[in-house]
Amino acid sequence: MKKQIIALAIALPTLVFGQVDRTKQPAAQKATKINIKDSEVFTTENGITVILSENHKLPTVSFAAFMGSDPKLEKDKAGLAEISGSLIMSGTTNRTKDQLDNEVDYIGANLNASSNSISLSCLTKHMEKGLSLMADVTMNANFPDSEFNRIVKQFESSLLSAKSDPSTMAQNAVSKVNFPNHPYGEVMSEKTLKNISREDVINYYKSNFSPKGAYIVVVGDITKEQTKAMIQKYFGTWNGVAPYKQAYTSKNINKGNRVIFVKKPGAVQSVIQVSFPIDMIQGDANQLPTTVLNTILGGSGFGSRMMQNLREDKAYTYGCYSSLNITENGSWLSAGGNFRNDVTDSAIVQILMELDKIANGYVTDEELNLIKSSMAGSFARSLERPQTIARFALNIIKYNLAKDYYQTYLTRLENVNKDDVLTMAQTYLTAKNCNIVVVGNEAILEKLKVFDADGKIEFVDAFGDELKEMKKADITKEKLIENYLLAVTKSANAKEVAKKLKKIKSLEEVSDISIPQAPFPIKNTKVWVSPATEGSKLEGQGMVFQRTFFDGKSGYAMSMQTGKKELTAEEIVEKQKTSGLFPELNYTANQINYELLGIESLNGKDVYVLKIAQPKGESFDYFDASSFMKVKSFTIQKEEEETQEITMEFGDFKEVSGILFPFTTNLIAGGATLSGKVSSLKINEKVDLSEYK
Amino acid sequence: MKKLIFCILLGLSTNTVIGQKKLSYVEYDLPNGLHVILHEEHATPIVTVSILYHVGSKNENPERTGFAHFFEHLLFEGSTNIERGEYDKYVENNGGTLNANTSQDRTYYYEILPSNQLELGLWLESERLLHAKVDNKGVETQRSVVKEEKRQRVDNQPYASFMYEMFRRLFTVHPYKWQPIGSMEHLDAAQEQDYIDFYRTFYVPSNATLSIAGDINIEQAKKWIDKYFATIPKGQAINLYRDFENLSDEAFKAKYSVDKSKFDANNFMKSSTPEAKRLINAYASKAVEIPRPNKDTEVLTKVTQDTIYDNIQLPAIFMGYKMPDQNNPDTYAIDMMNEVLSGGSSSRINKEIVEKKELASFAFSFSFGLEDAGLGIFAAIASKDVQLDVIQKEFDVQIDKIKNELISQEEFEKVRNSFENKLVSSNATIAGIAENLADAYVYQGSTEKANTQLENYLKVTKEDIQRVAKKYLTQDARVILYYLPKN
Repeated sequence: MKKQIIALAIALPTLVFGQVDRTKQPAAQKATKINIKDSEVFTTENGITVILSENHKLPTVSFAAFMGSDPKLEKDKAGLAEISGSLIMSGTTNRTKDQLDNEVDYIGANLNASSNSISLSCLTKHMEKGLSLMADVTMNANFPDSEFNRIVKQFESSLLSAKSDPSTMAQNAVSKVNFPNHPYGEVMSEKTLKNISREDVINYYKSNFSPKGAYIVVVGDITKEQTKAMIQKYFGTWNGVAPYKQAYTSKNINKGNRVIFVKKPGAVQSVIQVSFPIDMIQGDANQLPTTVLNTILGGSGFGSRMMQNLREDKAYTYGCYSSLNITENGSWLSAGGNFRNDVTDSAIVQILMELDKIANGYVTDEELNLIKSSMAGSFARSLERPQTIARFALNIIKYNLAKDYYQTYLTRLENVNKDDVLTMAQTYLTAKNCNIVVVGNEAILEKLKVFDADGKIEFVDAFGDELKEMKKADITKEKLIENYLLAVTKSANAKEVAKKLKKIKSLEEVSDISIPQAPFPIKNTKVWVSPATEGSKLEGQGMVFQRTFFDGKSGYAMSMQTGKKELTAEEIVEKQKTSGLFPELNYTANQINYELLGIESLNGKDVYVLKIAQPKGESFDYFDASSFMKVKSFTIQKEEEETQEITMEFGDFKEVSGILFPFTTNLIAGGATLSGKVSSLKINEKVDLSEYK
Repeated sequence: MKKLIFCILLGLSTNTVIGQKKLSYVEYDLPNGLHVILHEEHATPIVTVSILYHVGSKNENPERTGFAHFFEHLLFEGSTNIERGEYDKYVENNGGTLNANTSQDRTYYYEILPSNQLELGLWLESERLLHAKVDNKGVETQRSVVKEEKRQRVDNQPYASFMYEMFRRLFTVHPYKWQPIGSMEHLDAAQEQDYIDFYRTFYVPSNATLSIAGDINIEQAKKWIDKYFATIPKGQAINLYRDFENLSDEAFKAKYSVDKSKFDANNFMKSSTPEAKRLINAYASKAVEIPRPNKDTEVLTKVTQDTIYDNIQLPAIFMGYKMPDQNNPDTYAIDMMNEVLSGGSSSRINKEIVEKKELASFAFSFSFGLEDAGLGIFAAIASKDVQLDVIQKEFDVQIDKIKNELISQEEFEKVRNSFENKLVSSNATIAGIAENLADAYVYQGSTEKANTQLENYLKVTKEDIQRVAKKYLTQDARVILYYLPKN
């Protein structure tokens, strides 16, 4: 009966309610055949391959030039290509950067460059002006000193933030460990950045920006004749060296799993990336079925296996993904995410299990069909952008693909079956020869050993470089504290320390704080009165931002944002343990849990590293191994779900009343640096506490 | 940071649009008041199906701010015929993608599907309009999703509160004083009756525009639109039908004094009993009244200067001005003024404040027109060691200059070229076309306005730009916000 109603409904356009069967999904119509037009291809006398994809829907055109050189090993100048790419648009021998910007904007065009490409898009009627600018940058970039210095500075600050970003740290380690002696395994660090000069950049540009072996992809409202004329007019005189050619491989040479660890002191989460190289380059016949495989494994959102298992089922994480990167110079797979410390090892077990499982049994029809429809849909939508058609045309030529490679994409996708997926998994995946990169807290190290084939975990730094192991301390933790207190009070023995400190009845220290970002001066005042009264105040522009007070029994903290809050019983107990001029004096009496980890190198000097347990986290104090002064302190605290990290650096020690105080203090928190300089430090003078009480 | 601010702007502004090559379209009203716009083009075998509901945060009860956006989330939960959580699956399993967004003035839903699935898109959207279904579990889930969204997009983003801070100072009367994301306390306080009332008032055919663009056959599309949308009851009859579906026999009888059994469940509108016919006719002829706030008429009379402490590292300044609503003819000159000041890297603000004087790492001006009012904002994130009042002074120098001197011929041509390029590119995708046509129809009074934008920009003279700068950049009536790091 229902069928008849539908038939009726289609026959009669003006319908009344109730005659539509709303309970069922309407059937799809016959799919429209996708037609991807062939591109025109021609070469120029100076060696450029030009690929044209005509499209007259809009009166716009784009020209994108891709250089023909393969990437080169940069070794101790890792990052050269990246820096060069950032500088190409900074001026030419004919135009300053200002003039260039102005002329590009004047015609409403976009002109962008990277380390091996330059691209223009504009209205067709402004094409000639746009091409003259594009050609100028392509042939005559001149890299002014001032711009070079500006860009280097930008990279310096981004490397600084990379050092505290666990995802970047993991990414760096994954690149290095999977691609030894390969451009992908080269990571810019502070060291390699220092080695890059303006001359290097100029040489890079000269050897890479050349018509020989280059491609120019033209898309849009332009004919073949016009294209030929334009390329001849603007790029006909372009000259350059022969392209650098080097094939790279990406073979998995592991014998068993390796664990690579990047230390992130105090971390509450681990970043895990289980990765391995895959012996494949772009255009490989297996590229499509392998992509289907990865999408089912962990490459799509909630539907994929890793997400289902590690998030939905086990709740180890907010997200667990696998990504498959297939490039012209090699490929790799990397699977993982962020996981709580206590499930780090369990998460690795599950990720390895999923890699193993998909190579040992068929995927379900439901999994396969879902992924195939979603891949087919996104392929169809991507065709709307003329750039997609151009990229297809470039790929066909560059990677020697069949002429109808993309025309047949949907058919080939439809034909991928369960056997193909299983074969791909067995050919390319491994759960036994992986590089397991973990960025996290050292506390979890022991639990990771089982995953390493030889039981020896490798340590690398934030840029993936091998890390020297921490040396064993040559003294005990008690001795370290003793030496510190002797040094700071300039005493010969413990008795003298006690005597000197006893004489100190009060202290008032005023510092000028400069925050690079703050537009006005800030003053910080600290007061202390024997035996246990202390207060602090942070003020500027006539306002008090923060004030704290504690008299040994009670106290408060006030801030402009949160208002005044009395200390809780818990906080009072904590304060009692840590207050005083030198809390180290009372570590033993207060049963503070602390541990001497060893000696490591800090800014080229040996330092002792002391770990101190805190109620909501832990802190690490660094003592100079020769002077025993405390030069740095790093605290990490977890409050509900938020982690706070604070680094303090101490310097410029000066003697006041027989005791050495740091006169400069840098406080680094949340990415901001507060630099403090002591402007006055008074001992045993009258302290006015009325303002704090 | 740059990206983020652009995201905020895109998220909240209703796009002004359209270009050179005229868009062709067919449009008509269904008897129930639904407006239909169809654009046919066959370049790619995909289709966009969208519905624009003329309801946004400005239609909210002041005690329920954030409701329009929350409601958008709820309407993905399901309907009488679509199980909870199945909306996404129908679309994704068939190779499509879907999303929605809510602004001060509108709520917009769309799917992009392979073109052989047009009927699926129509079915899904007609279900959402006719009889969406939300249970308590859905309400709870979406409430936490919205809260998470606010945390991610507003609370945890540096400077992201500037829209909230600016709007509530520029508008103290009009509902623009609150933001579409609204108040989480208000969402917590929402009751079942709030949902029912909102749906019955704003989600009716006469308040909706169905806009379809892509690889379609117009005649076939019209037939399917009749099938799924012309069958949706007119006027208050839609709410009679919703009650018929949702109320118990007793409750229905109590409300309408007619037994549910008098209606034909399979063919409601064609129920044959006299009681049913009378009721249906009566309700179909009763229009759904849609409450809309009055236009904003508040005049800013003084300078308001405030400091906001935020989780940021670099201080920032935001200066806000009142501007006319999006239909005011001055809008074109105002957009061009902003292009002179802030369009592209060679613009006045970028060259002077960012590159030459290095006062800011990022600085820009923009304005946007809403249905009932508009506003303009100058913003900058300070460079290291630069005080905000120095940036403010430099902004004022630039403002004085554009008020006191005509822009150069070169700048004038530059901004004209730039608008031409922008407007041409804005119709590059069928999703953009569907949206542009619907916006023009609802907010500019005619779909054809989508085709005359460039003309209007090209009519603007240098003198117009100076005139609007003088008229709207009122230095004695503006809001100035200093953003400073919390700690």
